Amino acid sequence: MNELIRRDFPILDRKIENKPFVYLDNAATSQRPKKVIDAMMKYYVHYNANVHRGVYHLSQEATDAFESVRGKIARFIAVASEREIIFTKGTTESINLVAASYGEANVKEGDVIAVTRMEHHANFVPWQQLAKRKKARFEIIGLTPDLRLDPKEIDRVLALKPKILAISLLSNVTGVVNPIASLATRFKMVGSTIVVDAAQGIAHGEVTIDRLGPVDFLAFSSHKICGPTGVGILWGREALLEKMPPYQFGGNMITHVGDLDSEWNELPHKFEAGTPDIAGVIGLGAAIDYFETLGRVRIEEYEHKITSYVLQKIKDIACVKLLGPREALHRAPIFSVAIDGVHAHDLATFLDMQGISVRAGHHCAHPLMFAMKCPATCRASFSFYNTLEEADLFVNALKESQKFFAKKPKSPENGGVKV
Amino acid sequence: MSYRDVFGEILADHHESPRNYGEIQGAITEEGYNPLCGDKVKMFLKLSENAEHTVEACKFEGEGCSICMASASILTERIQGQPAAKVNELIEAFREKMQGKEDVAGLPADDADDDLVALYGIKRFPVRIKCVLLAWTTLKKAINKVPESAGETA
Repeated sequence: MNELIRRDFPILDRKIENKPFVYLDNAATSQRPKKVIDAMMKYYVHYNANVHRGVYHLSQEATDAFESVRGKIARFIAVASEREIIFTKGTTESINLVAASYGEANVKEGDVIAVTRMEHHANFVPWQQLAKRKKARFEIIGLTPDLRLDPKEIDRVLALKPKILAISLLSNVTGVVNPIASLATRFKMVGSTIVVDAAQGIAHGEVTIDRLGPVDFLAFSSHKICGPTGVGILWGREALLEKMPPYQFGGNMITHVGDLDSEWNELPHKFEAGTPDIAGVIGLGAAIDYFETLGRVRIEEYEHKITSYVLQKIKDIACVKLLGPREALHRAPIFSVAIDGVHAHDLATFLDMQGISVRAGHHCAHPLMFAMKCPATCRASFSFYNTLEEADLFVNALKESQKFFAKKPKSPENGGVKV
Repeated sequence: MSYRDVFGEILADHHESPRNYGEIQGAITEEGYNPLCGDKVKMFLKLSENAEHTVEACKFEGEGCSICMASASILTERIQGQPAAKVNELIEAFREKMQGKEDVAGLPADDADDDLVALYGIKRFPVRIKCVLLAWTTLKKAINKVPESAGETA
């Protein structure tokens, strides 16, 4: 991981306020290497046509390029059948698909649906609303003071034998990595269907189904792994997908349409109504190639180095409150911080003026933030193209901010903003 | 523009020593919340019984970023004793100004020696404009709870 990798990302050469652009909002979206942008451009310039329809050359080329990505994804997450890979528009749609189709068909009144308190809204609200529609019980697995899953809470919810457990691989707020394999094994024994939100997890480490244990569904987005926005993946076990009713109706998802009823196409097309984001899927294919070339194990090792480094540096700053565990083990390079006396938004603007892009706010995780009585934090999330020098810039800016926002002696001069 | 220009002494002063912070018993109240960043304000407004519905007192409570709190402080300071309809006009003019409209009437000039001017510069940070405006839009809702006081711009 070095300067050569940074050269793959043209955007990293930008300047903000005449300072180098330090992009630390990778948990929101990653940047795209030139290869991804080129692959999408090539589709539009050379073989733009709709897929699965035409008999002409270009349509066949587009279909081949599009469908080849399904195979790449199957290999990426180590599953045998491409029929289990469904293209959606993002993690959010993937989870909504499972809640609307599988959930609607299988959850009954009085059943238990379980989530955790660290879920992103995308893996919380669809289940909460499903529970409401079905008069099912909605249970939230609580956290320890350092914001990991609380073992007592896991036992409590396990005893309720939930019909569905929806859980994230790692938290987008704290970077805590959940022990999915052991949880999945335990919940499978009480009959739960396990839905994993890998929106964050997919970018940090080798996420393959065999390593996740007996999970049933996996959702993630292209744009967190250097692919374009607008494309997501849902993987599901074929036996479950076969039995599930369609989620949306329209073109491509049918085999026969009669006046009074219709028949559904086979997997995965049954769940892919309408023209997909063809260029986006092709771009995702290039992103996966890029990830495989770098090596996910190598990425994970490098990111672990960044995580340890930042944790070590932050530890020395008295005024910085770091959310979540302070050990690098089972933690991704995502750091939510609060500084005494400095509001998260003021801190984010302060960092932005120095070229450092971070996210400030509730990170789409109200249930977690409310439980911590913390309306907003500043979050810095690193990727493999970030450097230790950038980590230093971030940590130093945190120190500066506290000095800057500390109570200043009042003076009648310097009257504020000059427009 | 440096960071010190944005968070200058005037805003820092209003943030650290907010004017009119606290509640008013029996006042008209309205709460404003920005779900995006968690800023919260509660405005307390007391209007006189006369035809003009003069602001007898206006205070606020809340929590949020320095810009949101300073803006609430500056707002409450300048409307004491003003007729409600005039306050509504001021809020509307300030909203237009912050949203980028040129030559808005009824506001201090850009170089005026006036605390309100300190907020103008936040226009440079579009996502922070809502921090500036939260107290203002919330106060407008409070005024509009007394329909006859709201004036033409209500």
